[in-house]
Amino acid sequence: MKSLKTVLLAGFACLALTGNAMAQSVTVYTAGPGGLIEKLAAGFKDETGIDVNVFQATTGKVMARLEAESANPVADVVISASWKTATSFAKKDMLLDYTSDNAKTVPDFLKGPGYVAQGISALAIAWNPKSGTPKPADWSDLTKPEYKDLITMPDPAQSGSAYELTAALAAQPDLGWKLFEGLAENKMIVPGANAQALNPVLQGAKAVVFGAVDYIGLAQAAKGESIEVVFPTSGTVIAPRPMMILKTSSHQDEAKKFIDYVLSDAGQAMVAKTQLMPARSDVKADRPLIADLKILEVDPKTDRKAVLDRFAKTFGME
Amino acid sequence: MIFAAVAPVLIILVAFPLLFVVLQAIFPDIARGIFANPFSRFVETLFDKHLIAWTLNTLMLGGSVVLVSALVAVPLGILRGLFRVPFAGLWDVVFLVPFTIPPYIAALGWIMALQPRGYLEQITGINFGGFLFSFWGVVFVMTLNVFPVVYFAISRMVSSIGGRYLEAARVAGCPPMRSFWRITLPLTTPAIAASLLLVFAMSIEEFGTPAALAARSGFLVLVTGIEQRLSDYPIDLPGASLLSVILVVIAMGAFVLQHRIVSRRDFQTVSGKPGASRPAELGVWRIPVVIFFAIIGFLGAVMPILSVVLTASTRTISGGLSADNFSTENFAEIFANSGGAMEALGTSLSLGLGAAVITGILGTMTAYVVVRQRTVSSRILDFLTLMPNTIPGVVVAVGLILAWNQPWLPVTPYNTIGVLVLAYCCLLLPYPVRYANAALRQVSVSLEDAARVAGAGGIKVFFRILMPLIFPSILAAMLLVFAVAARELVATILLAPIGTKTVALFIWRQFEQGSVGMGMAMSVMAIAITMTIPVAVAIWARKQGRLF
Repeated sequence: MKSLKTVLLAGFACLALTGNAMAQSVTVYTAGPGGLIEKLAAGFKDETGIDVNVFQATTGKVMARLEAESANPVADVVISASWKTATSFAKKDMLLDYTSDNAKTVPDFLKGPGYVAQGISALAIAWNPKSGTPKPADWSDLTKPEYKDLITMPDPAQSGSAYELTAALAAQPDLGWKLFEGLAENKMIVPGANAQALNPVLQGAKAVVFGAVDYIGLAQAAKGESIEVVFPTSGTVIAPRPMMILKTSSHQDEAKKFIDYVLSDAGQAMVAKTQLMPARSDVKADRPLIADLKILEVDPKTDRKAVLDRFAKTFGME
Repeated sequence: MIFAAVAPVLIILVAFPLLFVVLQAIFPDIARGIFANPFSRFVETLFDKHLIAWTLNTLMLGGSVVLVSALVAVPLGILRGLFRVPFAGLWDVVFLVPFTIPPYIAALGWIMALQPRGYLEQITGINFGGFLFSFWGVVFVMTLNVFPVVYFAISRMVSSIGGRYLEAARVAGCPPMRSFWRITLPLTTPAIAASLLLVFAMSIEEFGTPAALAARSGFLVLVTGIEQRLSDYPIDLPGASLLSVILVVIAMGAFVLQHRIVSRRDFQTVSGKPGASRPAELGVWRIPVVIFFAIIGFLGAVMPILSVVLTASTRTISGGLSADNFSTENFAEIFANSGGAMEALGTSLSLGLGAAVITGILGTMTAYVVVRQRTVSSRILDFLTLMPNTIPGVVVAVGLILAWNQPWLPVTPYNTIGVLVLAYCCLLLPYPVRYANAALRQVSVSLEDAARVAGAGGIKVFFRILMPLIFPSILAAMLLVFAVAARELVATILLAPIGTKTVALFIWRQFEQGSVGMGMAMSVMAIAITMTIPVAVAIWARKQGRLF
C-alpha cells in the first residue's frame, strides 16, 4: 500500500514538471464570451508568436480564482465584465500602470491608470416578436397589462449589470421603485443569471427580458432566433469590460503586447464581430454605439446591499 | 496496518483542502497567507436575516428528496435484488443514465420540456410549468437525478443476502410478506441508510437544480446563498466558506443518525461459503413490476434525454418543433470542431476512469478500516470521507486552490490535470466508501479468521476473501464515480488547468455564448459515449453470471 502512495506522488511530480514552463507566453483570465478570447488568442499568436494561456469563466468565478490564488498569483492579464473590478483593483494598487498607444481613441471614461475597456455591452429589452405582444419602446411599457405574466429579468444579486440597471432606474425621478413595483404587479420573474432569463423568452413561455445583455440578444437574432433587442428611450446602463495587467505578472512585456493587440484594428474588429461595442470610438460596428444611446449613470455612493434588499423584497424573494 | 496506509492519503486528498475551507471561513485574508482579523466576518454572515430561512429550506429540501428517493428506489432495489425482473440488465443501464447527465442540463431539459410553450405543450397542448417551478418540482427533478444511488446500493446488497434467509423463513412457515418486513428489510438497513445519507448530502449541496427551478418561486437554500457570494464582484470567499461549514454541520447530524441506525445491530449475513443466490420468480406480478420500472426509467432517463435531443436537433429554440426547424447543424458543428470536442471527450473519459479506479481502491480500504476497527480515529476518517460530498463543489475547489497553490510547496499538481484528479477523488470518494461500508457490514469476521488460521496474510485475505464478496457493490459505486467525474462542472470551472478542455466545460462555454443547441448536441454525444462503459460492464457481468 505504501507503493500506491509513491506512485501517486511520483505521478503528481511528473505532472508538475510538465507545467507551464513556456518562455514566451501570457496567461489571460477572462469573463466570456469564449469565442472572442479564442479568436483573439489565435490572432495574437499569429502576429507575435506568443502563446496565450486562457482561463475563461464568469466574472464571479474569475474573481474567486484570482482571490484564492493570491498567495501565488498565476494570471498576467485579467478581463472582467464588471467595471468596478478595475477601479477597485486600481485602488488596491494591484495593477500595472500601462497605457497602450492604441488606446488614444478610447473615450476617457473607458480607461484609467492600469485599465482600459476591451469592449462595451449595454442592457436592453429583449422581445420575442412571435409572442403576440406589442413591441415595447421603454422600460415603463412593461408595466402595462399586455405583458402580465410575460416578463423575466436577470437577478441583480447574481449579475453585476442587472444590479447597475436596478440602481440607475431606481434613482430616476420619473421611474424609481414605482417602476419595479409595477413590474412586480405584472408578475415579472427573476429566474437567475442572464441565460436563465433569456431561455423562457426564446421558447415562448415568456415574451420579454427586462435588462437583457444586448450583445447576446443581437447574436441570437443573427442566428435566426425570434428575438429583437430594443434600446429603451429613457436610457440604459452600459457595462464596459475592463482589461488590466496585474502588478504580480512575470510576463509584463507579453501582457502589454496583448493589450495592444486587443486594441488594434484587428482585435477591435473581432470585438465588434461578437456584437459588443468596440472600445475605440473610431472602429465601426453594425449595431447602435455609445453615441446612439442615452446612458444612465449609477451614483457611486449607492448602497448596493440596500438596493438588492429592496429589490428582493419587491419581488418576494426574501 | 491498512489504517497507516489509508490515513496519510486521505489527509492529503481530503483533509488538506477542507482545512483551508475552514481557515478561509475564519481568516478573511488567508488567501494572501495572512492570519489577521479572525472571525471578523462571522457577524455579517451569521446574522444575515435570510440565514435561518435558508437553513430550514435546505433541511426541508434534503429531507424531502431523501423521502421521495426512498419511496421510489427502495422497492425498485429490493425487486431487482430478490426477483428475476424481466430486462434486468437493461434497467441497470437505464438507471445509470441520470448520472451521466449534468444536473444543470437535466434541469434545463425539464424546463424546456414542461414550461409553457415547451416541448410537451407543443406536442400535446398541456404544460406543467406551475408544478416544475415549485418546491415539489425541485424535489421531483432532484430525486430523479439521485435515486439510482439508492437503487444500486440496495439491489446489490439484497442479492448478496440472497434467498437463503427467506428460504429458511418459508420452511418455518412464515408468510412471504412477514418475512419481507421481518428479514429482508432489516437486513438491508445498512445499504438503505448509507445510500440515503449520500442522497441527503448530495441534495443539500446541489446548486444547479434549485438555482434553475426554485429561485423564481422564491425558495432559496444555503447553496443559493453560497453561489450568490461567488457570482459577482465583490466576491465573498469567507462568507461562502462559512455557509459551507453550516452545511457540514447539518450533514454531521445526518451522519450521526445513520451511524446510530447501523451500529445498533449486527448485519453479518455472509458467514460461510456464499450459495449461488437464485432470484425468485415474479409470477403474476411480472407485468406490474415491469411497468413500474419502465415508468421510473422513462421519467429518469428518457424524458430529460428526449428534451436534450430535441433541443440539439432544432435550428433555433424560438422555431420550436416545426418541420422546417429540424436540422443536424448542431451535430455537424460538433464534428467540424471535432478536434476540440474529441479532445474534451478524451480528457473527461480518462479523468472519469482515473477517479473511479483511485476512489474504488481507496474507498474500499477506508471502509475496511472503519468497519473492522471501531476506534474514534476510524470514525473521524469515516466522516472525513463524507464531508466533500456535503460542501458545494465550487467551495471545495476554492479550498483546493488555497491548499495547492501555496508558495512553500516543493511540487504541486495545481494548474496541471492532476488537480482535477485530486478534486474528483476528493468529491466522489463518498460513493465507494458508503457502498463498501454497507457491503462489509454483511461479511462476518469469521471468514477472515478462518483464512488467517489457514495461514493467509492480511493482504491475501483482503483480496482473496473480502474483495470477491463485496465487489458487486464496489463496482456499482465505481460506475457512479465514473459517470459523475466524466461530467463534473461546478468544481471544474474554477479548477481547470489553463487550456484544459473537458466535456462539461465545452458544453458550458457553448451555453455561455448562447449556443444552447450546440451545447445540447455535445451533451447527447457525451451521454452516449459515457454510457458505453456501463453497458460493457453490464454485458461482461451477465457473462460472469452475476450482478455487476
